[in-house]
Amino acid sequence: MLDVIEPIVFGLLSLMILGSGLGVVLSGRITTSALLMAFTFLNMAGMFVLLGAETIAAFQILIYVGAITVLILYGVMFTPQAPRAYGLFFQKQTPAGAVLAALAALPVMAVGFAFRDSGTLPPRGGDLRPLATSVFTDFAFPFEVASVLLLAAMVGAIVLVKRDR
Amino acid sequence: MTSLVPLGAFIAISAALFFIGVAGVLVRRNAVVILMCVELMLNAANLAFVAFSRRLGLLDERGSVFVVFVFVVAASEVAVGLAIVLAAYRNRPTVDVDQVHEMKG
Repeated sequence: MLDVIEPIVFGLLSLMILGSGLGVVLSGRITTSALLMAFTFLNMAGMFVLLGAETIAAFQILIYVGAITVLILYGVMFTPQAPRAYGLFFQKQTPAGAVLAALAALPVMAVGFAFRDSGTLPPRGGDLRPLATSVFTDFAFPFEVASVLLLAAMVGAIVLVKRDR
Repeated sequence: MTSLVPLGAFIAISAALFFIGVAGVLVRRNAVVILMCVELMLNAANLAFVAFSRRLGLLDERGSVFVVFVFVVAASEVAVGLAIVLAAYRNRPTVDVDQVHEMKG
């Protein structure tokens, strides 16, 4: 019974991820794009739970669905989004860009399907403890550098949008 | 206990979402939508990281640690990116990347 549920959940999640991802690219209204992006991130969190990475799923919801979507919606709010013809939403090189992306995508996806894993699931008990051990021992220095990067990004964003007085 | 969903399926979904993001960056002309598509690409890479980390059995939790760093980079990228879009919009009232060409040689 449990063996049947997992592929069904995977199929539903991937359908919604790819569908809402396409919606982000193809939607004419930018607010729709932003909310569909949040929906993609939410389904991606479900995918992480399916893989047994519950902590990453929680981070995903906190950071992507919570913070980044709100930031993007602020960006939408502060820039004008006048209604206009659907053709004007796309750049002038649309056919070339689409062909280029498809050409690059096909070999990568073929390689992706070729991967075979051992078929065994990792031991239960959540991923918080090994993740935290890794972050604060082997990756302690990159962790500190990441905090410097966040500080630099925050200062940079404030300086960029500050009005000259 | 075995899993019925193979690793290749996760990698294929990740690749598909990544190239949806690539197509969006190449095709759309609104700068805010381009930022959204970059976020989709980063998240697709996250899925590949977590899938390899959980299923390949060799890397213990290191793939997930990289996902945490990708979160950090994504958050800073979208903050600085939106600040640049807003600064460019203040100098010249457009968010179309086709019309922002002051630095074109």
